[in-house]
Amino acid sequence: MLSEIMMIPMIAALMLLLAIIVGLFFLGLDRKIAARFQSRIGPPIVQPFRDLVKLLAKETIVPDNAIGWLFNLAPVIALASALLLILYLPFLGVAPILSGYGDLILVLYLLMLPALAIAIGGFASGNNYATVGAQRKLIMMLSYEFPLAVLVMAVVWKTSSMFPDLQGFTFSTFMQHPVLTLVGPVGGFGVVLLIVTILIALCAELIKGPFDNPEADTELAGGVLVDYSGRNLALFLLSDAVKLCAFITLVIGLLLPCSLGDMFSSFMYTGWLAIAANVVFFFVKFTVIAILGLTFVRVAFARLKINQATKFFWLVSAGISLLGLLLISLDSMM
Amino acid sequence: MTKNPDAQEIVKRLSDKFKGKVKDIREDKHAHGKKKNSTLAYWLTMDRSVFKDAVAEICGLNYPFLSVISGRDTGNEIELIYHFYVNYGGKLQEQGINLCVFLPKSKPELPTITDLIPGALLSEREKQEMLGVDIQGISKERAFLPEKHPEGNYPWRKEENA
Amino acid sequence: MHDAYKMFLGPVHPALEEPIFFDFKIVGEKVIATNLKPGNAHRGIEALGMKRNPIQVLYLSERICGICSVSHASTFSRAVEAAAGIEVPERADYIRTIFCELERLHSHILWAGLLAHEIGFHSVLHYGMKVREDVMDLLEYLSGNRVNYGVYVIGGVRRDIPKEKHEKIRQSIKYYNAAFEKFKDVFLNDKTIRMRTEGVGVLTKNDALKLCAVGPTARGSGLNKDTRQDWSYLAYGDIGVKAQLPSQVTGKINGDVLDRTIVRLLEIKQSAEIIERCIDQMPKGSLVSEPKAAVILSRLKNAEGEGIARTEAPRGELHHYVRLAKKEVVDTWKAKAPTYNNLMAVPVMMKDAQIADIPVIICSIDPCIACLDRVSIIEGNSGKSMNKYDLHELCLRKSEMFGKIERGHQ
Repeated sequence: MLSEIMMIPMIAALMLLLAIIVGLFFLGLDRKIAARFQSRIGPPIVQPFRDLVKLLAKETIVPDNAIGWLFNLAPVIALASALLLILYLPFLGVAPILSGYGDLILVLYLLMLPALAIAIGGFASGNNYATVGAQRKLIMMLSYEFPLAVLVMAVVWKTSSMFPDLQGFTFSTFMQHPVLTLVGPVGGFGVVLLIVTILIALCAELIKGPFDNPEADTELAGGVLVDYSGRNLALFLLSDAVKLCAFITLVIGLLLPCSLGDMFSSFMYTGWLAIAANVVFFFVKFTVIAILGLTFVRVAFARLKINQATKFFWLVSAGISLLGLLLISLDSMM
Repeated sequence: MTKNPDAQEIVKRLSDKFKGKVKDIREDKHAHGKKKNSTLAYWLTMDRSVFKDAVAEICGLNYPFLSVISGRDTGNEIELIYHFYVNYGGKLQEQGINLCVFLPKSKPELPTITDLIPGALLSEREKQEMLGVDIQGISKERAFLPEKHPEGNYPWRKEENA
Repeated sequence: MHDAYKMFLGPVHPALEEPIFFDFKIVGEKVIATNLKPGNAHRGIEALGMKRNPIQVLYLSERICGICSVSHASTFSRAVEAAAGIEVPERADYIRTIFCELERLHSHILWAGLLAHEIGFHSVLHYGMKVREDVMDLLEYLSGNRVNYGVYVIGGVRRDIPKEKHEKIRQSIKYYNAAFEKFKDVFLNDKTIRMRTEGVGVLTKNDALKLCAVGPTARGSGLNKDTRQDWSYLAYGDIGVKAQLPSQVTGKINGDVLDRTIVRLLEIKQSAEIIERCIDQMPKGSLVSEPKAAVILSRLKNAEGEGIARTEAPRGELHHYVRLAKKEVVDTWKAKAPTYNNLMAVPVMMKDAQIADIPVIICSIDPCIACLDRVSIIEGNSGKSMNKYDLHELCLRKSEMFGKIERGHQ
């Protein structure tokens, strides 16, 4: 009994460590593949690990203008909230470690925390560049939350309308009944639109690609994180890696949770082999989404100005997600 | 539609209008390449008193392009050369008008032409800093030299060391 | 304005390739006032020049700037040749033209990459750098150097471009034409680039005229002005160059960043064409009018006169005025870089711009601050100006320090 109680924190710790490693690895993979797209060689895939070690060894400078305690607290909050997020998500394709009632809503709120922490860190820096970057981050956050909320509503509504006795907002529900299996072709197209929406939000959340204006290096010399160095910056790097992990896990858990067993009914293995195969399949999905949604988008577009990005999210992205919702609801009427 | 007066016309009109105050007019031609097409520029020296009116006259006849203002220290005087060009746009049609003005070192004042040609501002400010010319009508703020550079030390004057 | 805050850009900033100081007053994300202060890279070149003989100054002029280096060398040597009445053989004119055009190629390609970098589109930056490497390789093949080619001498050129080298040039030109097509496709058809450059940094034709803008900045606003078209120099009079205007591609002229981009891209194609025509039509003849440097030097020492030369550098009109007065050293030298004229257009372009537009607008005039400034270095906070003796002292002290470190390690 005691060993079982001890198991959960140990597994949780192991998962978090794995999340950090996977996140850093995929950050490196993203840089390598982006470089190859641009006919460069690019840094080695383990570069983010080296960056982490280097940052931890550097001096942590707190500017005179900054609000000291807030400045140092922000990266801690960013990392802690991202790690907490992982515990509520179906990382590695297994059921989330922590779960209760209304998980998905909690996840949505938790998603906001790392972004908020970055913005607060920017404001606390006492630097004009960081202030502008933090303002942009907040505006972006407001903009991409709406399509995300529509998306979540669509999936939850569909699943719970067909299976009202299952808990609506938990991931285990989605794993048992992936939304793609619940809809016909019309709804299927709607689900594809939702996938597009969430991939767009992925770039915005991670401050990469066309939506990296909070951190625009050529305009703001590093923007929201400009005054951070040393250990604080290392924590932000870790939080970035874990956010990457968390968000892609969210995408998979919400919209593409099919495991090998569901896809191939002839796949009858059980036991360790099955679990291992499922984990590998999880990583395959992870890699595809990371490359398509992150790397490819990052190298293919210029950076949008803040007003253009907001317009994009409120008009185009929200429009796509609403259309997806519409198609899914139409589907159930048919 | 009458064609804009070219440099020769302009120089003639200037020397007619400001009789006695315009001196040392000379033509400068250089040929290049296989076909030996030639460039044409006029040099004239103008009296300080009619300088601004002369520039206004050129602007009225054929709005010029001011390339830059050169300057040098001749010992007793400061010479400023305004390099104007007119008639861009055609094939090898542009001609130069170089207006030289001499200012005594005791009172190196000259009115600004930025009300006629706003683009002259940077050049005029540079001459203020480098040669100690006093261009009337523009700010005295430094454009090129660092703030801590000593007042009264003009790098292009022959007597001091840059 | 109660909401306005100040934002400084520079002197050191990732958006700027060279140090220059901008001071913006901003409300929200909109710029309402701009003040700029060049002078951070001033090296006192003209003052140095007035203490050396013209042949030494030629090498100095080449080093005013890394990107427009041959343009400065070209203009200076032609100004001296005009002042002293030294002839230049026709073959030398054509070879000089080829180097000027190659420089324009590499400068514009670099610029296209830089603009993409300011916009945040790194893929185009890396593509541009890749193409530019080929240009640099070609320049090294022809002159032995990638930057500061050392090809000009007073009275002609130092190196020939013999027939054996023509083949490689033609191959490279094919590559540049393909690169031009790709750039054109990206800059004109990519939606995100258009969103960032269209309507940004508008300079009306009237403003451009009044502020004496030059180069692609002026042509992007509709001024039909190109020193190669208007002024006969080197081989351009024979070849016949037309100023490239954005209306050739889009049909209208807005005077925004996109128009200036189009002008520069069109000039890439034009340069490739000009180089090819120069190779085809290169006249036979000698490379210098007077091969012995000592003879030239003595002619220059005894020369008296004023000379002016203008060149269309990649950024616009370059203008040198040289006065020789029967002395060993150059009597007067005024070097004007194109950014000089274009810088005053920047505050006008910044009206109603967003912060995000600032680096894009600055980059669109293609600032070459090294050409623009030409001083002293401030030591710490004391504000003391250093002259060449102080600098020499510093060099000696530094070498000593390194010597001590090395010996300490042994």
